[in-house]
Amino acid sequence: MSTTIILGAWIAVFLTFGIFSYLYKDNPFYKTAEHLFVGISAGYWTSLFFWTQIQPNLFGRLWPSSNYSSDSFWYMIYNGLGFFYSPGFPNGGVDKGHEIHNVVLGIPNIHYLIPFALGIMMLLSLIPKISWFARWGIAYTVGMAAGLRAYGFLNSNVIGQIKGTAASFSDPNLPFWSLTSPSIFNSIVILVGTITGLLYFYFSKEHKGILGKISKVGIYFLMISFGASFGFAVMGRISLLIGRFVDLIKYSGSEYYNATLWILVAMIIILGYDAFKNRGNNSSVSKDAA
Amino acid sequence: MNGLTELILKIGKVDRRWIFIVLAIVVFIPILVPIGMPIRATVTTKVVYDTIENLPPNSNVLVSIEYSPSTKPENHPMAISILRHLFKNDHKVFVTCLWPDGQFMAQDALKQVAKEEFGKIYGEDYVLLGFRPGGEAVIKGIVSNIRKLYTVDVNQTKIDEIPMMEGIYKFSDFAFLFTVSAGFPGTVEWVQYASDPTGVPMSSGVTSIQVNEVMPYVQAGQMKGLLAGMPGAAEYEALIGQKGSATSGMDAQSIAHLVIVLFIILGNAAFFIERQRSRKY
Repeated sequence: MSTTIILGAWIAVFLTFGIFSYLYKDNPFYKTAEHLFVGISAGYWTSLFFWTQIQPNLFGRLWPSSNYSSDSFWYMIYNGLGFFYSPGFPNGGVDKGHEIHNVVLGIPNIHYLIPFALGIMMLLSLIPKISWFARWGIAYTVGMAAGLRAYGFLNSNVIGQIKGTAASFSDPNLPFWSLTSPSIFNSIVILVGTITGLLYFYFSKEHKGILGKISKVGIYFLMISFGASFGFAVMGRISLLIGRFVDLIKYSGSEYYNATLWILVAMIIILGYDAFKNRGNNSSVSKDAA
Repeated sequence: MNGLTELILKIGKVDRRWIFIVLAIVVFIPILVPIGMPIRATVTTKVVYDTIENLPPNSNVLVSIEYSPSTKPENHPMAISILRHLFKNDHKVFVTCLWPDGQFMAQDALKQVAKEEFGKIYGEDYVLLGFRPGGEAVIKGIVSNIRKLYTVDVNQTKIDEIPMMEGIYKFSDFAFLFTVSAGFPGTVEWVQYASDPTGVPMSSGVTSIQVNEVMPYVQAGQMKGLLAGMPGAAEYEALIGQKGSATSGMDAQSIAHLVIVLFIILGNAAFFIERQRSRKY
């Protein structure tokens, strides 16, 4: 087994126990793991967005290599950037097989200058005097996302759900009673749950009389739904814990030089020594445990 | 009776770190010493299996991977089992990723199943198109013109040079979609922007926490079944007859649930006893 894999296993075990150690109390192991996570995540996402979004989708379209022309002024800008960082801005443009159209003034895919400009406007928010430029970029993003999502929600979450709730009643092959498969009884429960749940969120009339009783039924449906959500959340968290334990057991093997055991023992000794040293002052422990 | 009441009250006030230790033990022991509790497929899992089983041979199936290592214990066994089932039935598998980390997960799953277990040929039996940023916009792109969005695959090979991409131009060229999802963008967006508008059937495997959000689509017939968390993955492993990591984790899962239920009952009992006593005095 290669040294990098073994080293990776030791780091993984240390970080896992570092995070788990917070269950005992806040401590330097947890802080190390937490700060590493924040720092590495920021670096990882920055690098990822450049290589997966900006470089191939924007620069790759504005400076595609198949339309390469070293004499043009347009490629001089790009090659200038390549002087500072050649892997990100390879000489002669990016080759991602993009189609080339709308060539105006030697600039291929000229309409991509619009997102390029909007992106620069977003960055201008760093300069207070002209930070208002960022609003244009944000306005475009918000408008596009709202328009895109409105259709999806209306079609699938409103019309699709109404169709799905109502259609079952007209099906002559549907049994009346079955809890585990589609049945008229299940359809009635869904229908009653939907109507009473919706009426609970109807605030134009005081929840008294019949409306009060119906909305109370809606509360019960909502409570059952929240209970199911909680149950699934617990199940998910236990699954992840199982995953970590499986890895810890794997890394306790001799091929990994018993990484799990060594790190666990070392952490227990250090935290135990710290607790022994500060035995008179246990306020932080009791505060964490509360 | 008084002794029992005092014990319940004592448990109700126990330091939470003891509960963590008990949970760690009950999860740890069944992983080391499996009990082999029975696993029966639920209706939603069975529907996924039947849908794939009923696909005509050599169907073009799109598999979208939207999870990262953080949910690997739940999602990865699903991806492995679905790929096994698809390759066993000789379908052509096209893999896309809406999450950047999904690409690594897909590479890992394809290496294990397509290459090592089934000896499938890249570019002829399966292709990894990889990650594209943009969330819903990527789905819309796949629906309208996949070649405009994916000009190259994950190995930077031009799409036109990949044999199995012949005849694939848009989402409706696929016979079935399966997404392995851990959040946004994922299953919900595939239903909204791809499956519902085009009518291409789809199923999904999701993390436990997403089940409540996605289940209405299954009930309304907008999705063909669902693999719900680690139990869903274990049920699918049982259906295809190839046990994996999900099956081995189910013993620990079941026992941990029992212990949590016990703690909830004891906590509530302590709360009600305490309340009754405070009313008395």
